[in-house]
Amino acid sequence: MRIRTAGVIAAAGLLMLGVAACGGTNEPAATPSKDKGNGKLVLWTDPTRAPVLKPFAEAFGKENGVTVEVKEISENQQQTFITASQQGSGPDIMVGAHDWIGNMVQNGAIDPVQLTAEQKAAFHPNAIKAVTFNGQIYGAPYAMENVALIRNTDLVPTAPATIEDLIKTGKDLKAAKKVQEILCVPFGAAGDVYHTYPLFSAAGGSLFGTTASGDPDPSKVTVNTPESIAALEKMKALGEKGEGAIKTSIGNENGIPSFVQKKCAFLISGPWSMNDVKKAGFGYDISAVPGFAAGGQAKPFLGVQAFYVAAKGKSKVLAQEFVANYVTNKDVAMALYNADPRPAALTAAADAVKALDPNAEKFVQAGANGIPMPAIPAMGAIWGPMANAEVAVVKGGDAKTAAEAAAKAITAEINK
Amino acid sequence: MKWLREVGWRYAVVLVVCAFALFPVLFVVSAAINPLGTLGSTGLIPEGASLKNFVDLLTGDHPFTRWFLNSVVIALISAFAGLLISVAAAYAFSRMRFRGRRVGLLSILLIQMFPQFLAIVAIFIVFTEVTELYPTFGFNKPWGLLVLYLGGALGVNTYLMKGYLDTVPKEIDESATMDGASHVQTFFRIILPLVGPVLAVTAMLSFIGTINEFLIANVFLRDTEAKTLAVGMYGMLTDKRDANFGMFAAATLLTAVPTVSLFLWLQKYIVSGLTAGAVKG
Amino acid sequence: MTTEVTGAGSARSPHPGPSGQAPDQRSRGGRRGGAEQVRRTRELSTGFIVSRIAVLGIVAALLIYALPPLIQTEAWTALGAVGVVTALVAYLYLTPRHIPAKYLVPGTIFLIAFAIVPIVLTFVTAFTNFGDGHRGTKEEAIRAIETSSVTQVPGSPEYYLTIAERDGEMVFLLVDPATKAVQAGTAEGLTPVDGAEVSLTGKVLTAAGYTIVPTAQAAERDAEIAAFSVPTTGGAVKATGLSRAFEGKADKSYDAACDCVTSPSGGRWVADEVEGYFVNAEGQHLDQGWKVDVGFANFTKALTDPTISGHFLNVLIWNFVFALSAVATTFALGMIVALALHSPRVRGTKLYRIMLILPYAMPGFAMLLIWRDMFNTDFGLISKLFGVHDWLGTPTTARLGLIVINLWMGFPYMFLVITGALQAVPRELTDAARIDGASAWAGFRRVTLPLVLVALTPLLISSFGFNFNNFNNIKLVTNGGPYAIDNSTVGATDLLISYTYRVAGFDSGVADFGFAAAISVFIFAIVATVSTVAFWRSRAQEEVYS
Repeated sequence: MRIRTAGVIAAAGLLMLGVAACGGTNEPAATPSKDKGNGKLVLWTDPTRAPVLKPFAEAFGKENGVTVEVKEISENQQQTFITASQQGSGPDIMVGAHDWIGNMVQNGAIDPVQLTAEQKAAFHPNAIKAVTFNGQIYGAPYAMENVALIRNTDLVPTAPATIEDLIKTGKDLKAAKKVQEILCVPFGAAGDVYHTYPLFSAAGGSLFGTTASGDPDPSKVTVNTPESIAALEKMKALGEKGEGAIKTSIGNENGIPSFVQKKCAFLISGPWSMNDVKKAGFGYDISAVPGFAAGGQAKPFLGVQAFYVAAKGKSKVLAQEFVANYVTNKDVAMALYNADPRPAALTAAADAVKALDPNAEKFVQAGANGIPMPAIPAMGAIWGPMANAEVAVVKGGDAKTAAEAAAKAITAEINK
Repeated sequence: MKWLREVGWRYAVVLVVCAFALFPVLFVVSAAINPLGTLGSTGLIPEGASLKNFVDLLTGDHPFTRWFLNSVVIALISAFAGLLISVAAAYAFSRMRFRGRRVGLLSILLIQMFPQFLAIVAIFIVFTEVTELYPTFGFNKPWGLLVLYLGGALGVNTYLMKGYLDTVPKEIDESATMDGASHVQTFFRIILPLVGPVLAVTAMLSFIGTINEFLIANVFLRDTEAKTLAVGMYGMLTDKRDANFGMFAAATLLTAVPTVSLFLWLQKYIVSGLTAGAVKG
Repeated sequence: MTTEVTGAGSARSPHPGPSGQAPDQRSRGGRRGGAEQVRRTRELSTGFIVSRIAVLGIVAALLIYALPPLIQTEAWTALGAVGVVTALVAYLYLTPRHIPAKYLVPGTIFLIAFAIVPIVLTFVTAFTNFGDGHRGTKEEAIRAIETSSVTQVPGSPEYYLTIAERDGEMVFLLVDPATKAVQAGTAEGLTPVDGAEVSLTGKVLTAAGYTIVPTAQAAERDAEIAAFSVPTTGGAVKATGLSRAFEGKADKSYDAACDCVTSPSGGRWVADEVEGYFVNAEGQHLDQGWKVDVGFANFTKALTDPTISGHFLNVLIWNFVFALSAVATTFALGMIVALALHSPRVRGTKLYRIMLILPYAMPGFAMLLIWRDMFNTDFGLISKLFGVHDWLGTPTTARLGLIVINLWMGFPYMFLVITGALQAVPRELTDAARIDGASAWAGFRRVTLPLVLVALTPLLISSFGFNFNNFNNIKLVTNGGPYAIDNSTVGATDLLISYTYRVAGFDSGVADFGFAAAISVFIFAIVATVSTVAFWRSRAQEEVYS
């Protein structure tokens, strides 16, 4: 009998929470005039960028007489943003990679940004291409990044023209006991589609077909086409049972350190490696990842960091002002670059820093053939199965079997 | 020979297990004092020793000391509040017989086993509204996080204490009742002092559980200044390709400090029965 | 088992209790008649009155804190619920009856709010398609579709915007960058403005008949500006921030008559209430969908989908192996060291204990990453010590490795609780067993182990439940791998939980919560069944103490 009392209270408590929760989600829609967020702009980003963005956000706040809060989400930013937005406790502006766009759009979490023709022209064409989804621009890009081939010029003065050259040089150095590894490309026990994509694409592999408008087409998965299987064969030849240039024992955690400690003369990495490489104390240079002697060019993935206007934010006009009219300003872009030196998406800013930092320009050059990482939600289905297939071939497995297994898993996930 | 059989084996076992417990920790130590700040290449013997990582950690961009304080305060308060809630329930389960008792016991065991795929969605649903109505207990506030952690107070710890309470003879509180003590008085004055060891163990367990909690704190705390160690440290790794593992390892070591200190303090209660027995024996 | 337990139970009576006060207390227990008298007078004691006043005070304080925001936001249902709950709590603590509930209610309230609500939510979600692309309502989807289809009217100017007022009504003052012509935009449309003063950056400084709203004040009226739209022949002028505006037109619009979304360029997508999407004749859907009820579809899919049921048994077997060995190994090692230190003759126990709990005191996720590194094929510590081997890339060693890592992380917990439980085992008992000529091993098996097990069985069950769903260890160390070359869906170390996580799309960033929820229910059914059986089997042991 007594426990019943507890049960009743329990039920009432549950009711209370449930009712409160429901009331909350419906309320903003019912009374739009009750504008709670006015005069305040909330921006979410990751902890690395938060300190960089804070001064700019505050300057914007001062200019417009509003308060700006920069909040940092440590992990799982995209899902946290989408979930929070849906429940009405999200930010007004989100900062993140362009390949989130597809998923954010299908959840109605972000609004398009109307840039003028002049504003659009000021950006690197690849940056605009990256933030364009279904014909609409969904964010203001501010930094671009892609991987390149970084080499130790003390050991290798000239950049290799082909992958075959690279392997030969690496092997010679290894034989001469100058290095321990031919190439440091982060791969790891779980595989790494991103870092190895230049090699895979140079060998003729691809992930998706294209639609009439040139966008990636999720209904045409091409990881098991003869071309892609041939590309996996080439990766197998570079793998542990072949040349030993791609290894599961070199991953994100030790790729850059190994290069810095002269365990390898070549590194495939992006601008984020520069902090460590500069400290290494030997000469280095950055060039595009070469292609195979017989075959196409290497096409690294281009990643773009962008600002997005949250569709369910409380200060949407302010957010639009910040994204469309403030961060697209050259001076702001320059200042952002100075605080976080990644190649700027704004051409004027990129040109201005070219003289100051030749590395940034070299990375941009190395990415000239690159393709923006597909922003369609189906891209999410690629990473896991494709990485598994690459791990399998790098360990000496059959390329066709691996490709078919990956295609099957990817298609199942897309049609889920 | 007799010494070997009665005491010597104890040392042998303890030393072997300590070695097992410590070698990954040594690995972290060597990464923490490695000025290169890399993890992948670090062995047990550090390549160069310096306190640079610790200095960077305490003086760098991250408000590490603030995180440290946040963590300790939240973990201490939630351990204490959770302990009270839990021991009260354990007392009822151990000493009283009522309808639904066994079902209740089983439920609190099973509830914590439910896979929490939607935990974050649920947190947003509940706390978006709470933040609007009662900002003190909303997002970004330690009180909100505390309240949330108390949701786990009725769990396996309740069992731990109930199990221990069961070993305290019922005659003790019965006679107290005979002497006119109310159930509240019996609980606070007679029972609580008797179950010191298990209170200490439980406090320890819930402190550790809270101070290392990451998933919930990550969605809850968004201001740099409001973060706990686990969230702040994970943030240092978010841009994983650019992470400074040396500082991360140093932070990992420092995180263990409050836990170890608490253990140092509670240890005498945990083994109080043991020493009491020793004196008598 | 039963005999041992009975032995343990009857052996308990000489137990003096940890503080040794029992005999004294018990001798007083005989004065039963006196106690009755005391109990009656207690009803009116000061303590009683003070405690009741305190209860009322706390209830009042809570109400004073909780009610105003609810009244302000006119959340009457919530208000009613708070009232009912508070009244019940007040009644509970004011009445002398319902004693067990007094002790259980505080924990129960928190348990319901933060443990049961998510579970209820999971159950409800399992019957929907809630997930990425289907998070909101149909109205929200329509709004998102329309908003994201707005494009600039070709050839229209990209205006500079100044917010102004006329007769208290908001007006957009629009400057054409090419001609510098100024127009006023209202809900009626555009009208030219003459004689306005325009700055170099395109801001209107003064305009006759209009009051310019300073930026800071405009920022305060965000929602009003966002909702403001000036109709034009080609579409409508909307603000892009506070300083610019554009003439836009929605390419897609919802038509309630046909319950479909149409586009002037010819597209037509009809609402499909089963899928929660707008679908065109070719079967393609618009990106933005909405949440619909799907009945038991998620459950039947989990049972019939060959990608899931085809691997289910293998995963389940490894899942049990992992959970059971996790419990067994951590318990065994914890017990061994706890026993080893359970002797006054061992010196330096404090130091040893600290070293032993270190693995538990270190942040788990950090240590998992470090363990993964130690298992690196070419550079890891394990390879340095035991020879190069693809530790985490070979199914057997990957599984063993996970169990070892789990043992390292988990044994200090067992060590702590067993150390605590050992304090409750009277030394006299073990000593007595020894005097009776039993070996140390027999003494442990017949006396210590049963006693410890009685106290710890629920913890072992709970540990089993935890490890059955030990997502972190798998995710951070192997992520389910290694994968067989012909199977990219399930890896050798996948637990049901990590497998579900992947199959439901959490790994790929496009999560299907409804499906995950349905599988959670199945996983819970398995763990709960096993745990309940174990729990009821342990009942016999517990009742000895009742």
